[in-house]
Amino acid sequence: MDETEETTSRTGLIIGLVLGLPIIAYGIGGALVDADDTSPRELATWVVGLGILDDFVVIPAALAVAWLARRVIPRRAWPPVRAGLFATAVLVAVAWPIVRGFGDDPHNPSLFPRNYTGGLLAALALVWLVVAAWLVVGRVRTEPRC
Amino acid sequence: MSSIGRAASDGVRRRYDSDLHETRTAAWLGIALGVTFGLCFATGLWSHLAQEPPTWFTYPARPAGLYRITQAVHVASGTAAIPLLLAKIWTVHPKLFVWPPASSVLNAVERLALLPLVAGGAFMLFSGIANVARWYPWSFFFPRAHFWVAWVTIGALVVHVGAKSAATWDVVRTRPPVAEPTNPNRRAFLGTVAATSVGLVVATIGGTVAWLSPVSVLAQRRPGQGPQGLPINKTAYSAKVTDLARRPDYRLQVVGNVDRPLRLSVDDLRALPQHEAELPIACVEGWSQSAHWRGVRVRDLLDHAGAADGTEVLVESLQPSGRYRASTLNHDHRTDPDTLLALELNGEPLHLDHGYPVRLVGPNRPGVLQTKWVSKLTVT
Repeated sequence: MDETEETTSRTGLIIGLVLGLPIIAYGIGGALVDADDTSPRELATWVVGLGILDDFVVIPAALAVAWLARRVIPRRAWPPVRAGLFATAVLVAVAWPIVRGFGDDPHNPSLFPRNYTGGLLAALALVWLVVAAWLVVGRVRTEPRC
Repeated sequence: MSSIGRAASDGVRRRYDSDLHETRTAAWLGIALGVTFGLCFATGLWSHLAQEPPTWFTYPARPAGLYRITQAVHVASGTAAIPLLLAKIWTVHPKLFVWPPASSVLNAVERLALLPLVAGGAFMLFSGIANVARWYPWSFFFPRAHFWVAWVTIGALVVHVGAKSAATWDVVRTRPPVAEPTNPNRRAFLGTVAATSVGLVVATIGGTVAWLSPVSVLAQRRPGQGPQGLPINKTAYSAKVTDLARRPDYRLQVVGNVDRPLRLSVDDLRALPQHEAELPIACVEGWSQSAHWRGVRVRDLLDHAGAADGTEVLVESLQPSGRYRASTLNHDHRTDPDTLLALELNGEPLHLDHGYPVRLVGPNRPGVLQTKWVSKLTVT
């Protein structure tokens, strides 16, 4: 049997493979030739590890949080709350290395010159302010008219 | 429900209680990812060509602020891609558990090509963010690893774009069929992802877009903050030049393919005709700021030494070691009237951290190639 998924274009896939596989090979080959700088084994561990983390930890965790939240939160409130949770997770993840100062250099005061904990908290406050406004506007809009 | 739900078996489908695991959501996210990853790849390649130019390529000196823009686009589009990638993987997550895992050989190849796409994409974004945070929890050299994995990721993206081209085009050119009315939940979800992307860019881009700096609460730099009002990347301390740069017997050497090798003190350099230029320092990490420089034109100095025409110039630092202790001026850069050996910044002698006594500064160069604490020019 030779059938692909219904959203897959057979011709497109074949063209994609012809063009894409050499590019993938170039990248893998380059990383191997450049082994002194890329430490291929360690690099592969990072790449595969982050892929696994994404598919089997981050997304399932998001699904679990959403599953729980939807059982607690009224149906109408879910889109704004989902937006708040999503933006919070992304902001915290991106800010984390800077908030914790993993790369800080005490001899370079021009690097990381801000209060990043305060900045992150301010950004999160703004996110949840928008969520609250969305909830209020959503409620006004859906209120029955007489 | 469209194909993502159908593709997954009933048992799997029941565990995903959202109605957004569907083709239209996946297609719109896919288009946005294609654009952001495409921009990232093009600008990343440009940065690579600037730093490691192949023999067939001359990296141009003009426009002077080009690298500033391309690198800001690189970091901003990578940052914007983070919410997009997470949302996309969430949307198509049911497909991960499709059984049997492949319906044909071609389908198996298509699905295998998703591994480098997902894992490579995750690595590119994670390592990029870590680099901006100057956090290196690995032993490999970040630029090279980031560069080679980019090819793997883009190759896998080409395969995926090919496979999904027709279905995506269908989504773009058609409105949802009547049987499947416009999903208000989809609009809210895509709006959430887009707003998060934009918000994340605004929160981080203030190191290069000065007017956004007040609200860029997560920006790595703040324009104007640093010695002489300009941020720095490598300090004199970390380059181990604190003493070397201040020695009274400092001399700048001009050697190699020249008629008259030169050995010049700081006073000798000051006695030469001075030229002024407004040029940005543009860092690979995405921050940039323009500044006012004053010093000796490289081309005047080379003329003074009787340097051979049409050759490259190696510019070396007092910095005893490190990958970026030297840079090369190609013909375009060595002849540009604004390529300077700067002695002053914003009206004052260079601060030690900005490269005292002499630094290279030229148009359209990545910050790491604006060599500081210059000790020697070798005409090759």
